[in-house]
Amino acid sequence: MNKKIITFSIMILWLIISLGLIASKQYTISTGKKVLLETVPVDPRDFLRGDYVILSYKISDLDLSIVSPNKSDFKRGKSIYVKLEPREKYWEAVSVKEKNNIKTDEVIVKGKIKYNYQQGHLMVSYGIENYFVPEGKGKEIEQSMRRGSSNTVSVEAIVDKFGNAVVNKLYINDSEVKF
Amino acid sequence: MHIVGGLLSLLVLGLTIYLPIRIILGRKNPILKWLQKEILSWERKNIINTEQGNSILQEYNLKRIDVGKKMDTVKIITLIGSIFLGLGVIFFVASNWQEIPKHIRTGILLGTTFITLYLGYFFSCENSRYPVLGKSLLFLSSLFWGGSIALICQIYHIPSSDNWLVVLLWAFPILPIVYFFDNKYTLVLTSALFVVWNFLYSSSNDVANYYYPVIVFILMLPMAKKFKVGQQMNIIGLLLAGFYCPFFKYEWLPLFISIGLLSCYLIKKEEKEYLYAASLSFVAWHITYFSIREISPNFYFLLPLATLFYLTYKEKSKLNLAINIMSLILWFHYTLYTYSKIFDNRYSFITTVIIQSAIGIILYIIGISHRNKEMGSPYKIFGYTTAFGCTYLLSFKKMLLNNTVYSKLFFWMSLLLMFIAVVLLIGKFLKNYFNTKSAKWELLALLSVIISNLFILMNPYLILFDTVVANAVLVVFAVVNIFYGVEEENPAIFNSGIAIFVLFVITRYIDIFWELKEKSWFFIIGGLFMIIGGMYLEKQRRKVLEKMNK
Repeated sequence: MNKKIITFSIMILWLIISLGLIASKQYTISTGKKVLLETVPVDPRDFLRGDYVILSYKISDLDLSIVSPNKSDFKRGKSIYVKLEPREKYWEAVSVKEKNNIKTDEVIVKGKIKYNYQQGHLMVSYGIENYFVPEGKGKEIEQSMRRGSSNTVSVEAIVDKFGNAVVNKLYINDSEVKF
Repeated sequence: MHIVGGLLSLLVLGLTIYLPIRIILGRKNPILKWLQKEILSWERKNIINTEQGNSILQEYNLKRIDVGKKMDTVKIITLIGSIFLGLGVIFFVASNWQEIPKHIRTGILLGTTFITLYLGYFFSCENSRYPVLGKSLLFLSSLFWGGSIALICQIYHIPSSDNWLVVLLWAFPILPIVYFFDNKYTLVLTSALFVVWNFLYSSSNDVANYYYPVIVFILMLPMAKKFKVGQQMNIIGLLLAGFYCPFFKYEWLPLFISIGLLSCYLIKKEEKEYLYAASLSFVAWHITYFSIREISPNFYFLLPLATLFYLTYKEKSKLNLAINIMSLILWFHYTLYTYSKIFDNRYSFITTVIIQSAIGIILYIIGISHRNKEMGSPYKIFGYTTAFGCTYLLSFKKMLLNNTVYSKLFFWMSLLLMFIAVVLLIGKFLKNYFNTKSAKWELLALLSVIISNLFILMNPYLILFDTVVANAVLVVFAVVNIFYGVEEENPAIFNSGIAIFVLFVITRYIDIFWELKEKSWFFIIGGLFMIIGGMYLEKQRRKVLEKMNK
């Protein structure tokens, strides 16, 4: 086989993959609904690794007695669909839905079960738990998120109709963090 | 934390497997290494011809050094240059430089990747004057591709829990460079990426990753062809995947890997690495099986084990024999433990050690019964070190004191195994094996272990006597090794006798004097004792070794 054709084929393959990755995220951003999520303080030893901030949300910890009182089959690693609704300022988790039972006007975010605690709580990740920052800029956010700090940190995420979410903006005390 | 714990445990497990095997195989004599190189030099100077060179190599069981495969300086420098440049770009991306808009940043990096790929092709195929540069540029483009993917993920804040996807998106698209351009550097990179991906995927999704072995068997190993480093990296990756399973109770994955490796060996019989890896991988399956079904003995394991023993003898492979002996011992103990659970018998320390010691003696006798001395040596080494190790454990008073009660099942099992050992020993005796002076030393060591084991087994409450007996056997071990070493003119065995003696003295010193309230005296007296004793022993050792050399 002609090596020149192969080289260009590899380039096309790489281009398709990288553009595909960008397109899937851009699709979520351009078609999805903006939701404001409240973050909760995390252990300061863990949440900053290198140059990104680890975010934990109020919706990351689901109380099953509220969001899914009739269902108990929640295995670690399983995907779940969580319905979000606006409550005062932030959007909150109101129920866990089946994939085939999602209405078009609902905002559903897809998550993966990280832990299923015995006390009826689920720890869920939604793929929006990291926020990359320029080198050395993480310290400010780290200070704002420390347990006991009076600052509020919130995130504007965009959720598309398939439940995929992307972090759009980060706010500290309602001011957008810009670098 | 799971991964770190898992990796550390794997490291410890790996070391425990590696060390006895390394002892069995022994280090390559430096003189033989020198000879290997010299033969090439003599051939070049026409002192000997190639046929004579081959005859010498055959005489000393050596392989010819492949000069063509040695990396030259140019290759190393260009490869290091590529790695530096690739790492530089990845760090540049990681520093999340904000001055340039996101999409222009992505465009620049993708553009650089494509240009590097094209230049790699150009210097590899179009301009044949710089093939090394071409290969390095192709490899560099693989690194740049990884940087591009990382940058896109960073822009969209894709979290670290999805890192497995990032690694997969890096590894798969660079496979055409390995396949079509036969680029070994990229093969090594892809192999490493798939190993990392396997662990990330399993830990992130909490499932056994069956895709990994499929990718390795179908893509990576065929692509590695005769490239040993690439082949070995993938085999090690499979073994790591197998030994990762017991921690997370993925029962069938190690079996799947084992069968795959065994099939590879049966297809490519000349490549013994597959046989070694299959043997180890079956052990991983057995451990996983046990960790999941504690009260169900794994008799299925005997089928692959018997097959592996058969293949080992057919291949006359000492290394694989050592692995299989270890597997058999492991299987025996797991089965014993399982039955102890079933019959609600206490898995007692003393009887377990005595059972293991009896197994050691039986293995030793199997070793000396082999007509092929080479194939008998793993049995002898395993048997002897096992019997010694067990006696050493029994020589601690505290160990005996805390384990005086044991169950009937284990008592009779110990007795049965000791009986088998005695019968085998008598059989060897009747065949006049113990007629030579060296063999008489062996007999002394074996008999003393059997007698001490029986004494301790029958009298668990005579703690003081039991301790004295076990310690006396340790001294016998030291004396036997020293005199056997002199008799056989084998410095390694002689030195091991000295080592056993030193270990015995130090252990007993700590045992007796650690209880002293004033610890400073413990160290001062111990230190002086060791310096003076060490000097004396070293002097004596040199004298004997000099005599041996003469």
